[in-house]
Amino acid sequence: MRKQIAAGLACYILATTAQADVVIGNPMAVTGPIPDLVAPMVAGVDLAEKHINEQGGMFASGEKFVVARADSQCDPVAAVDAVTKLINVSMVTAIVGPVCSGATIAQAESVSIPAGVVTLSVSASSPAISNMENGTDLVFRSAASDAYQGVALAELAMSKGIKDIAVSYANDDYNAGIAEVFAKSFAAMGGKITSNEAHEPNKASYRAEVATMGSATDNLAVFAYYGSGGITLMRNALEIGAFSTFIGADGMLAQEVIDQIGAENLGSTTFTTSTSDQSSAGFTAWKALADAADIPAAGPFVPNSYDATFMMALAIEKAGSADRSAISGALRSIANAPGETILPGEFAKAKAIIAAGGDIHYVGASGPQDFDENGDVAGYFSANVVKDGAWEGTIID
Amino acid sequence: MWETFGFEFVNFYLIPGLVLGCIYALGAIGITLTFSILRFANFAHGEVMMIGAYFTWTAMVLSNDLFGVPLHPLVAAAPAVLLAIGLFILVDRYFYKPFRYASTIRVVMASFGMMLIIRSFVQAVWGPNQLTFVPGIAKPNELVKNFTASVDMMILVPNKHFWIIAGTLVIMFALSWLLTKTKIGKGMRAVSDSPELAKVSGIDVEIIVKATWFVGGFCAVAAGVFLAMDLQMLETTMGFRMLLPMFAAAILGGIGRPFGAVIGGLVIGLAEELSVYPWFGNGSLISPGYKTGVAFTIMVVMLVIRPSGLFKGRLF
Repeated sequence: MRKQIAAGLACYILATTAQADVVIGNPMAVTGPIPDLVAPMVAGVDLAEKHINEQGGMFASGEKFVVARADSQCDPVAAVDAVTKLINVSMVTAIVGPVCSGATIAQAESVSIPAGVVTLSVSASSPAISNMENGTDLVFRSAASDAYQGVALAELAMSKGIKDIAVSYANDDYNAGIAEVFAKSFAAMGGKITSNEAHEPNKASYRAEVATMGSATDNLAVFAYYGSGGITLMRNALEIGAFSTFIGADGMLAQEVIDQIGAENLGSTTFTTSTSDQSSAGFTAWKALADAADIPAAGPFVPNSYDATFMMALAIEKAGSADRSAISGALRSIANAPGETILPGEFAKAKAIIAAGGDIHYVGASGPQDFDENGDVAGYFSANVVKDGAWEGTIID
Repeated sequence: MWETFGFEFVNFYLIPGLVLGCIYALGAIGITLTFSILRFANFAHGEVMMIGAYFTWTAMVLSNDLFGVPLHPLVAAAPAVLLAIGLFILVDRYFYKPFRYASTIRVVMASFGMMLIIRSFVQAVWGPNQLTFVPGIAKPNELVKNFTASVDMMILVPNKHFWIIAGTLVIMFALSWLLTKTKIGKGMRAVSDSPELAKVSGIDVEIIVKATWFVGGFCAVAAGVFLAMDLQMLETTMGFRMLLPMFAAAILGGIGRPFGAVIGGLVIGLAEELSVYPWFGNGSLISPGYKTGVAFTIMVVMLVIRPSGLFKGRLF
């Protein structure tokens, strides 16, 4: 008897979610090595969800748009677990999320691609993601590939007059990917890579590593997550005086780095990140919305998180149902030209055009989101230095 | 000799290896004691280290905010040690004791669960973000630097490393006295050798168990605070990350041999750091990305050729 009640209740719950809500999965790295970076990104996703539901929800019947969150921990194993649950238990229509490249690749290869579910990552930037698919069209991202950022960083180093540099990268998909691009382009521009070594994340000491590399140069390109060794590595390098100038990318760009190492020690440190063209119409529209919700509009990957969630809702609306197989094509249709321009927050307008059978072209907070054949977008990058105890970014042309 | 083993070797490889070895050693003492006296691999041991460091951080912040007195981490560690040990005696009473005479795998699983519970608890209370333990960077001690430089042997050691090495030595001597000279220490060694025999000769096993948690917990919290002093920050997986090398140290030294654990910890800490020294040519001997592998290679080789460890520990 009890079993039957439980089974009945389960059927009822499943039936009600299936009828009333459109559910997407959102495995973010809520815990793990970069929680500070992820918290505002999560707020960006939630803001998009709020806007969509305020402006009429999904489809003609006004179904609720629901974001089912899980914790991918910036870890391949945790991401596979989280996404497996989202796809098989929560029965989500699509995945918007995995933050880190390693997590995104692992969950796509072993869960979402075999299940035929679209993944739209908010910040995974490893070049390895571009060519990971074989015949399917299921992996997209709203952040630019590090194939571009690595080049931008090499140009930045050159413009700072750096002639030789040591490269130390954490042994994971994101950091190894951008380190490879950086080293290749820096060498092609005539710079000298004195050493290019992987380091194991999460070690208590990196003194031996920095001592070995520091004998040849004063400049270090550090590719790591700040929470899993990046800060310790920089601290060790400064303590023993092995390096004085540091450059790096997104994974290190957090207030934590300044709080722990001290602004006075970071005078010649520059980190790049994916950013938005702040004069564009898309960013202006987004900034008004983000300011109203008290979210850092220009925070790393915060606009990209909003864009990804918003685009996923538009794609489902365009597809006309929560059917997983229709999402990939619909996503390309709403994100790529031609069509009437839709800016962040204009869900009701887009809904009306779609209902009338028209085409839309979403121009996002982080810039145009036209996907190329690999599901990648172009993007802008900024160079960030410490000013008055905080990171301050300027866009790289 | 100094031409080949220059001071770079001492400053950047040997001393950091020793510091890391001290932290492994203190952690491994607790593991080897629980392994031999309570007869299970306590996976929650890393969390004792972690929560001890968090308690210490809290004591430092409270003292600074309420009374305006900045405490040295080692002073703030005193109340933290008591809290952490009290917590683990409670954990033992309610989560491990029910399994004391059941098969080992159950209590191992219980400790695994406890590890996740404590980590989640800390994340809920203190948040998943890193906390700054001591801000800034630690410059080498000027006095030692100038003195050694004047005799052409410049030694660069920050103060925090003096504290860590000296603290470990003090704890080691205290432990040696406790285990060899006191009744409770002799009792612990007796239970470790044979719990049944110890029981029939009138030793109260439950008291010994409490003493084990006390000694193991004390060393673990000391290891956690030393680790936080070295890293200058706290995060919730800091203990867990040290757990496997500490197991390797305990096994290397021989299970049930606290001094074996100390030697094992030092060997593993030194091996990890020295394996990346450029012994031949200019590049590091092995890529630093793989230095953790060194610790486990030593452990596996040891298990194969001499399963009882360096100091003839217990075989399971």
